[in-house]
Amino acid sequence: MHYDDSDTGWLLRVRNLTKIYGEPISTSVQYTGPKFGTNICPETDAIVACAEISFDLYPGEVLGVVGESGSGKSTLVQMLYFDQAATSGEVLFSALDEGRTNLLTLSNQRKRHARNHLMGMVYQNPRDGLNFGFSAGGNIAEKLLMAGNFHVGRIRERAGYLLEKTEVPVKRMDNTPSTFSGGMQQRVQISKAIANNPPLLFLDEVTSGLDVSVQAKVLDLIRHLQRELGISMIVVSHDLAVIRMLTDRTMVLKNGRIVEAGLTDQILQDPQHAYTQLLVSSLL
Amino acid sequence: MPKILEVRNVSKHFQLHVQNNKRIAALEDVSFDMEQGEILGLTGKSGSGKSSLMKCIYRTYLVNSGTLVLHTAARGPIDLATATEHQVLAVRKSEMFYCSQFLSVIPRVPAVDVVAESLTRKGRSIEEAQAIARDLLDRLGLPRELWDAFPATFSGGEQQRVNIARAIIAAPRFLLVDEPTASLDQKTKDVVIDLVLALKSQGTSVVLITHDQHTLDRMAERRLHLELGRVRELATA
Repeated sequence: MHYDDSDTGWLLRVRNLTKIYGEPISTSVQYTGPKFGTNICPETDAIVACAEISFDLYPGEVLGVVGESGSGKSTLVQMLYFDQAATSGEVLFSALDEGRTNLLTLSNQRKRHARNHLMGMVYQNPRDGLNFGFSAGGNIAEKLLMAGNFHVGRIRERAGYLLEKTEVPVKRMDNTPSTFSGGMQQRVQISKAIANNPPLLFLDEVTSGLDVSVQAKVLDLIRHLQRELGISMIVVSHDLAVIRMLTDRTMVLKNGRIVEAGLTDQILQDPQHAYTQLLVSSLL
Repeated sequence: MPKILEVRNVSKHFQLHVQNNKRIAALEDVSFDMEQGEILGLTGKSGSGKSSLMKCIYRTYLVNSGTLVLHTAARGPIDLATATEHQVLAVRKSEMFYCSQFLSVIPRVPAVDVVAESLTRKGRSIEEAQAIARDLLDRLGLPRELWDAFPATFSGGEQQRVNIARAIIAAPRFLLVDEPTASLDQKTKDVVIDLVLALKSQGTSVVLITHDQHTLDRMAERRLHLELGRVRELATA
């Protein structure tokens, strides 16, 4: 199996995480998945977006999630970041209550706390992660304020530092993201996501909308920040080149299930599942 | 000498689901031991399974049966065939390094940083690591003006120098090298051989694949000859 319950030292432990839209019945999970080639329940038309997802993530590790559109990869990180409510499952996070509390059962207030202090998210569309009515600095300030930092001078200093780190000209700090290029918007989003030094960062198709030269720069930045800050990351991408460059381990999703998980070089060079073989053999 | 690696009954085949379930045999019932500080040369024709065996040891390939027990310094014996991914990553980070035949380059990272990274990952400062990297690239004869350039644009031989420097710099306890001296001139070949022999004298164990007789003769004390994925001969040179 992909994980070992006796292992210790993990940062995030996910067990049987499941998300179903609509009216599931007891057999919805049983009669969907890669074996049936669908995630739609034949009885009730409920959509099993993710089912029985289990894995461990360790400090400093980068985990890739690949799969076709609709395989459940974005739903997975959205559940972990509380953008979406999970239907069932268990998520333990060693940075919260020493990993003893199931994150899915937290009060809304504690969920917000976890999200603002301990996690960061970078979305494919900068509009999902940034407030376009605020300046770049204002966006970073928002994340800092939500984590309880109220000193204006220190907030500006931190925002300047983060923009410099992510190679956004600091003199543009007071401009709104709408005046920025796509690559710059993505870098502001990254600044915001790492503003409170979270131990865990989610990246959902962060380079998909960018042209190749900008893509390389953003990937380079992510690699650099990962090495320097030692953040654990979950990287969602349909692009195997991105996965190869950024991740240590990879999970392959199809119809809401993990069909294969392993070291990234193993997944790319010795894929076991028919779907992964198809994916890898389609690589240009 | 204590053992570093014990390989038992390793078999590996590829099942190609997308091509009518075609089955390609790579390794059949391979067993051998390696002692600490030893250099073992893998020999055999192209397609005999040398690189497959090396990739099975590194866990890039998953074996179908058998065990590959590495005696690690930090964690004791670990069966690389069944260890969790997290365990394998920890071993790779601290003591096992794989130097592939070709450098897989990361875009936009200068040569000196590609090499230095093996050291900074182990906690050395960037300045210190870069200084050691420059010295190593100098010894391997990589022109000074290329040190800050991106290896993607380098010739085969230049990339090979970067690749070797990257493997050697962190002095791994267990080193896997696939054709380290191919595409190098005679003088640089000997530099590479001397560098690896220096590591060996400090206790590094090495699995070596080479088609170059000179490299093999100077380095490998024992040889494992493969034929169609089976061990044909295991002998001391």
